[in-house]
Amino acid sequence: MNSKTKILRLLVALLLLNLSANAQNFLSKNLRIGLFSSTPLEDIRAVSDNGSAALVVKTREIAIQLNVKTLEFDRKLMQEHFNENYIESDKYPYAKFKGVLDQPVDFSKDGDYAVTVTGVLSVHGVDKKRTIPGKVTISNGVVQISTEFKVACVDHDIKIPKLVFTKIAEFITIKAAGKLNPLK
Amino acid sequence: MNKIKYLLISFSFFTLHAQAQEADSLLKALDSGGVATTVDAAFKSTHVVLSHSSETQKKHDLDLRIRHHFGDIGGRFGSAHTLYGLDVASDLFIGLDYGVSDRFTVAVGRSKQDELYNFSGKYRLLRQKTNESMPINMTLFGQMGWVAREPLSDSEFAKYSNRFSYFFQSIISRKLSSRLSLQVMPALLMRRAQEDTRDPENLFSVGFAGRMKITKRLSFIADYTVVNGLSRPKNLTQAYYNPLGVGLEIETGGHIFSLNFMNSEYIVENNFIPNTRKSWSKGGVRFGFTISRNFTLFKSKNEDPDKKSKIY
Repeated sequence: MNSKTKILRLLVALLLLNLSANAQNFLSKNLRIGLFSSTPLEDIRAVSDNGSAALVVKTREIAIQLNVKTLEFDRKLMQEHFNENYIESDKYPYAKFKGVLDQPVDFSKDGDYAVTVTGVLSVHGVDKKRTIPGKVTISNGVVQISTEFKVACVDHDIKIPKLVFTKIAEFITIKAAGKLNPLK
Repeated sequence: MNKIKYLLISFSFFTLHAQAQEADSLLKALDSGGVATTVDAAFKSTHVVLSHSSETQKKHDLDLRIRHHFGDIGGRFGSAHTLYGLDVASDLFIGLDYGVSDRFTVAVGRSKQDELYNFSGKYRLLRQKTNESMPINMTLFGQMGWVAREPLSDSEFAKYSNRFSYFFQSIISRKLSSRLSLQVMPALLMRRAQEDTRDPENLFSVGFAGRMKITKRLSFIADYTVVNGLSRPKNLTQAYYNPLGVGLEIETGGHIFSLNFMNSEYIVENNFIPNTRKSWSKGGVRFGFTISRNFTLFKSKNEDPDKKSKIY
């Protein structure tokens, strides 16, 4: 086999990959994304069902985004303080993670995969490079994703005043889960 | 051969470029409709300095509010003889505001001046939206005042109904940026007991208020109410002034403290709108403060374990 046919084959393979992958995008508009802060004095939880996600099979790229104002707290005053004093949702309305799956996943067949995703997490206007563990489940052409990871407030320039230091954790646990449907 | 190489390189560039863009553009397309969220916290508190703000209590939250207006800083009643008014309590107020729902607040309070009891309801009609489908907040406020003190003359409360006054206000505000909020509030006060017969029973007023955040938890606040010269004649025996208050508001979690200066002696609308007799220009300005503490009365009934908070 000469180099010319090698290159041609590569070209054809790339073309085929491109063509076949075009149909392979998965989307969600109702990912459940929650946060959990725990200290010996207080547990705080908040959740939103308005997370959105896009998965591009061809590139193994995944992007997840949340309008942080949609996070709901038990206590509305706490929710107001979260938006006004900590996450500053007027200035930084979205929290976002964009990355690439580190392991190959066959999205055309049913199966479970433990994966890691390496990319950039942007919260409160601060970008951090992160590798985040997660789970991908494929069944009947629907992709289910879930993840749980911790975010340090200090990493994203979120200041906690001394007065409430005992009530708000330094590391906040973030959970996200939901179904992604194929884009037709 | 070369041609193919070029083709290959340009092709791979093309695919690489497409890769970097795609997930992002998909998300953008997905979020183009967006979730229309409300613009919250035009003001930190249900009050500015003297006047109400468009904010209401959160559901099941009870606000205990203690307010104090001292005496004149300058002029005949001020100076070092009264430690610039600190010896004098021109009005004291204690009140409770309770959020029946996130939109509806009921309140009761009692002032030292006139032994005035006030009962009020405040309803949040419109809320400002992030996507500008609603550009303003609008809150309706109604308050009844009941003067409980002994009459000063036999004729003063000849009819018992003269002890009551009714205040109706529409509060319109807009949060212009995360730092700046402005408010305008037209109002009508209906009362019976006025000292001068030329002073009308029904008083119209227009208030203006603003909040400028200095830091996340410290704001400059001010309000001004125009009442004299609207429906009220200018040549009354007693000189009345328009109430102007300025202050610094400090928020620390569930507490709000504000340190204020104002010309109005009195605290509740039914009193300070018609009866402000002191002027900023004649030493009639005074110091005052507000302490507000929020309590969550009932645990929320939501069953969603992802939303449950717990205080140990």
